[in-house]
Amino acid sequence: MLILRESTYIYVRNLKTWLAQPTMIVAAVLSSAVMYLFFGEPLRGITGLPGFPAADYQAFLTAMVIVMAVVFSGSDMAMVLLTDIMSGYVDKLLLSPVNRFSILLGTLAIGATRAIAQVVAIILVATAIGVRFEGGVLGILAVIVATTLLGVAMGCVGLIIAVRTRSVQVTVNSWLLFMPLAFLTSAFMPRELITGWFQFAVGLNPVEYILVAVRTVIIDGWVWEHIVPGFWVLLGTSAVLIGLATYEYRRATN
Amino acid sequence: MQRQPAVVVQGLEKTYPGGTRAIDGIDFTVEQGEFFGFLGPNGAGKTTTIKILATLLSKSGGHVEVASIDIDEDARSVRAAIGVALQEVGLDDLSKGRDFLVLQGRLYGIGRAEANRRADELLELVGLSGVGKRKIGSYSGGMRRRIDLAGALMHRPNILFLDEPTSGLDPQSRLAIWEHLEDLNAQGVTIMLTTQHMDEADRLCRRLAIIDHGRLVTEGSPSTLKAGVGGDVVRVSFGPMDSPDGRADTALGALCQLPSVREADTTPDGLTATVDDGGAAAPAILRTLNDAEIPVANLAVTRPSLDDVFLHHTGREIREADADEDAESRVWGQWMGVNRR
Repeated sequence: MLILRESTYIYVRNLKTWLAQPTMIVAAVLSSAVMYLFFGEPLRGITGLPGFPAADYQAFLTAMVIVMAVVFSGSDMAMVLLTDIMSGYVDKLLLSPVNRFSILLGTLAIGATRAIAQVVAIILVATAIGVRFEGGVLGILAVIVATTLLGVAMGCVGLIIAVRTRSVQVTVNSWLLFMPLAFLTSAFMPRELITGWFQFAVGLNPVEYILVAVRTVIIDGWVWEHIVPGFWVLLGTSAVLIGLATYEYRRATN
Repeated sequence: MQRQPAVVVQGLEKTYPGGTRAIDGIDFTVEQGEFFGFLGPNGAGKTTTIKILATLLSKSGGHVEVASIDIDEDARSVRAAIGVALQEVGLDDLSKGRDFLVLQGRLYGIGRAEANRRADELLELVGLSGVGKRKIGSYSGGMRRRIDLAGALMHRPNILFLDEPTSGLDPQSRLAIWEHLEDLNAQGVTIMLTTQHMDEADRLCRRLAIIDHGRLVTEGSPSTLKAGVGGDVVRVSFGPMDSPDGRADTALGALCQLPSVREADTTPDGLTATVDDGGAAAPAILRTLNDAEIPVANLAVTRPSLDDVFLHHTGREIREADADEDAESRVWGQWMGVNRR
């Protein structure tokens, strides 16, 4: 119970810090809107390809916009954490008698909040431009929960980068690491229509399975055979990354 | 019953990954209610020691007890018992001053109402009541140190560790911090601070340890340390004389007979004498000169400073030592991937 209370204090502090930087929030929402603008309208013709699974390209794209936003949020997380390490704020927390785990929880919880805010904002933009969610309200909720978990998992990657390297250079450029995770997917084109090494690489990327599941819920509804693999991959990846982040964090703070 | 010391350090050692030996076996004790200073140049091992005592950094060897708790056994109870303000400050620029204090209190387990009340009280104490609702990022250097100090006091710790609390501050802000610290110490708070400023150590600390290259060089009260270096120096300049021949030498011979004078020598315009106590020796010196019919234009007594103490024990001035390669920063630089000097 004490851990929960302590992590709430730290979470509220992190939340205030985030809200005190409105540019970051506006940029997050704006980047999603820009995705639709750049890729949605101009690439609309792709739906005409034989075998393309959706009639509405904007709807097809929505999963990509959401997943990409949460994947790259891992890099933001790394920067947020590194800023606190560099300023000595993390030391200040470590000097207090709070449980180390509370600090970690408060940090991961803000990652989750940022992911939720971003996903909800994208869903609002999507609805505004006429995307229909075939999975219904439950589908929307499932998408929010799943991608938030993905956001936390990516936040863990960010945390490991920040704690391990403690380097601004590396952390600022950590988006490079997230790029293959986000782009080696069927984000723009279904896997069946992709060929060669790219198709092979896509098959190895865990984010791909999560993306497919999210997209299925959006464009087809509850088609379990496309959702279940993504569900397990998400669960497995999150468990491994949260475990690793906890380990790295303990190592760094002891 | 004898009170337990606030801090006991025995054989403390710290070697950073990479082999830099920051602390090379030091022992000291800080009694309860004491104002204890750790004096030394940059890279001497002061910050490393404070960080180990505050449980932020692990030690490589030795035994440390803070508030009668072994830091290896129960670091968390040590953290709850002490207040710490580090040189790197670690303030949250985006947070408002008062919010920072309240959160700090909550993290130490203080209830909401009490934390609010205490925050207001401390803002008042450190003279920041007017700016409690402003973001810390807008504070000046002196205000940042004061809010940091207030944060370290939220849970009313009995032991306070301060790492260079006034470095980089203007004289007015330094004085304000000094006064707060003196008040706290008068209320019974044990304070251990690190400093590279002789005047700070001299004014605040009842007892000092001088540290250089990770070793304790000497320890004692500022006055004992200064007395250990040598006596006071009395400088006399002579006034105009009709027939000066030989009279200075006569006076010198007479001075050397005085029991309070350890040694004396002539200078181009007078003489100097090294004595145990300048104040007590001055009248006798004047009388002797008067008997020798030597007019005195000026007499000055200089006491050895802590600078002289440092020079005496290390063979260097503390400022020269500063210019040495800074082992501590170098380690941090590697660790943080940036140069933190």
